[in-house]
Amino acid sequence: MAYLITENCNGCTSCAGLCPVEAIQGEKKERHVIDADFCIECGACARICPQSAVQDPSGRIVQSEKKKYWKKPAFDYSTCMACGICVNACPVGCIMFGQPSLKDKNAYPELADPGTCISCGFCADECPVEAVMLMPPGEEQIAKAG
Amino acid sequence: MKNKGYMGKILMVDLTSGEIQEEALPDPVYEKYLGGMGLGAHILYTRIPEGADPLGPDNMLAFLPGLLTGTGSLFTGRWMVAGKSPLTGGWGDANCGGTFAPEIKRCGYDGIFVKGISEKPVYLYINDHTRELRDASDVWGMDTVETEEYLEKHAKANGKKPKVVCIGPAGEKLSLISGISTDKGRMAARSGLGAVMGAKKLKAIVLSGQKRINAHDREEMKRLSRMCNKWVQFQPPFVNGPMTAFVGALLRIMPTVLTQDGMLYKILLKKWGTVSMNQMSPEMGDSPIKNWKGTSSDWGFKKSYSSNPDVFKNCEIVKFHCYSCPLGCGGICTMDKKYSHTHKPEYETVLALGGFCMNEDVDGIFYMNELLNRAGMDTISAGHAVAFALECYEEGIITKEDTDGLELTWGNSEAIVTLIERMVKREGFGHVLADGVKQAALRIGKGAEAFAVLAGGQEPAMHDSRNDPGFALHYSVEPTPGRHTLGSHLYYEMFKLWTVVKGVPKIPPMYLKGSKYKNPEKQAAIGAANSRFMTLVNCTGACLFASFLGAKRFPLFGWINAATGWKLTPNEYMNLAGEIHTVKQAFNVKHGIEPKNCKISERALGRPAQTEGANKGRSIDIEMMMTHYWEQFGWDSQTGKPSQETIKRLSDGV
Repeated sequence: MAYLITENCNGCTSCAGLCPVEAIQGEKKERHVIDADFCIECGACARICPQSAVQDPSGRIVQSEKKKYWKKPAFDYSTCMACGICVNACPVGCIMFGQPSLKDKNAYPELADPGTCISCGFCADECPVEAVMLMPPGEEQIAKAG
Repeated sequence: MKNKGYMGKILMVDLTSGEIQEEALPDPVYEKYLGGMGLGAHILYTRIPEGADPLGPDNMLAFLPGLLTGTGSLFTGRWMVAGKSPLTGGWGDANCGGTFAPEIKRCGYDGIFVKGISEKPVYLYINDHTRELRDASDVWGMDTVETEEYLEKHAKANGKKPKVVCIGPAGEKLSLISGISTDKGRMAARSGLGAVMGAKKLKAIVLSGQKRINAHDREEMKRLSRMCNKWVQFQPPFVNGPMTAFVGALLRIMPTVLTQDGMLYKILLKKWGTVSMNQMSPEMGDSPIKNWKGTSSDWGFKKSYSSNPDVFKNCEIVKFHCYSCPLGCGGICTMDKKYSHTHKPEYETVLALGGFCMNEDVDGIFYMNELLNRAGMDTISAGHAVAFALECYEEGIITKEDTDGLELTWGNSEAIVTLIERMVKREGFGHVLADGVKQAALRIGKGAEAFAVLAGGQEPAMHDSRNDPGFALHYSVEPTPGRHTLGSHLYYEMFKLWTVVKGVPKIPPMYLKGSKYKNPEKQAAIGAANSRFMTLVNCTGACLFASFLGAKRFPLFGWINAATGWKLTPNEYMNLAGEIHTVKQAFNVKHGIEPKNCKISERALGRPAQTEGANKGRSIDIEMMMTHYWEQFGWDSQTGKPSQETIKRLSDGV
């Protein structure tokens, strides 16, 4: 299964520039194509598309949203195990381990590069203890408070 | 992409021709061999030709994540490397944590298999679109940390740091005790497989994949993980480091033993890591001292205090968790010598370069740990080689003339450090020891082999088989001999398999210590269950230490079913594991190994028995245990070989 670009595509190239696995090909101002063999279903192409021209794997058109409103991962450090699953799951490398504190020598994950986050949610999806949540910008503190 | 935990494909790389090909595997292969070690055993058994030179083009090297890696289970981020060992001549494998395992699956593979020999040094680079061999002449000669830093910088893709495994100068120079490194100092050290990589002129593998790893029922995976994590996070306050010695002394003095619960060891590992055993193990008789001829009395509290667990904890700046590990027994430490940082030395390293050589210089141990990690040399085997040389020197078999002027007396830290430096460079007398104890004994001659303690050509680990006959058995009967991570009586107590697997021996809540040395038939049954379970652990990419939590708290069987959608019982998985174990034994037979010759050396069996210390008067009837162990798998009770029908069935494949 993979995302699909419909005929409404105007070839703006936004999706191809954002795709973390370079699965989207196409000429400028022409309809783009997603290679299903490489698509990891992160949905970034659909969220960024100004034409709302991308279908998700279930066939539904995804409405685009301005990138500044995309939800981003926030971490509940009272639950987090510092196991690194979310760091590994992130396809763009925006989650990294932070510095340990004086009291706790574990290094916990943090959103080190919010600008590159594509709001795919793989971090939250793969976290076994639900210590990662996708939150609207500005509400990260809710997760941190547990 | 499958929703069964595995990716359904492997990658075959031929370094001679430069061909790289994907190979799809049908579901029945996974249903029979699971993944990880099992998948490796199946492919290597069928494809490495009989009599292949371990350092020649026909040998294959397999890099394997576990079946459960990346599926939402905990403690399942270990990867394995397997091939024909140049150290033992038979099945060789090594196991390592870190963050490399999920990356193999994220590149879309359940294993990367490498054969052939490249004309010039190369590294294998894989990302979502590319699979290619690249020139490695820039990094050939670099140590493992330098290599990783260089390749992380130069092979970066998609904003993410790639994951690297590599060899150091030891592997390049074909040291038979060299390993393969990742995460700048974690080692798949055993079996000498670094030399196989060096012989192939394969300096490194660099991976940067983004594929999804899908489980059949991820919610069930998570439910089981949350249950497991509750036990991991239960961490009551515990005694300080040196007090662990008194726990060890208590275990030594008591004539009876309460069946061990792994929660104690979990608490120790979470607080200190494996160095928590630095004083406890020698006190209870678990640590071989002075090349196996010493006793717990020779390495008493005052001597072991220099390496008490708090010394390591106090210089730890950050804990190191392997992928998917909620415990974090590893750590990064600061040090004053040439290198500013090092991975926290493991118990095995501290003892092998400490009590085993009567060396109290913990700063020297930190330095040698980093030096060996950077060289890509096994610290267990290196420590053994040094201790062997110290005893040869004591016995007058070698003199200062042989050692390039080094005074190799017990505990002479300066000489030990210099010797290790020369071993990794293969300089002078260092060359004599650089391939391990077996080769060193041959090179020295003059009866030196009398002081060599080996199992099937490999140096055993820092757990005294006289203290736990289970170690004696597993050192001697495992297809990869001399390994401490495959079973012991203590491990079996902690696994508590009888709570979920029917028909395996149950250990009573309290027993007399002496009972472990009697009833070899029962000990063999315990050993066989151990081997089966550890085969499953190594097929799934799981961690031995996590298994100490016990079968109910560490839900391995439940995770496998939830990840794959299979509906097998624990007993059915144990039966599959027995088949996989047989494949490894058949591999050895195919390559001319006589299983009975893998018996560990007499000294480590208490023959003659020691006259003082924790293991006073103890000796192991290993022959009877080996015979009964082989019977447990249906192998010939006299030779340890699987039957011809079994071998034919395995050769026919799935």
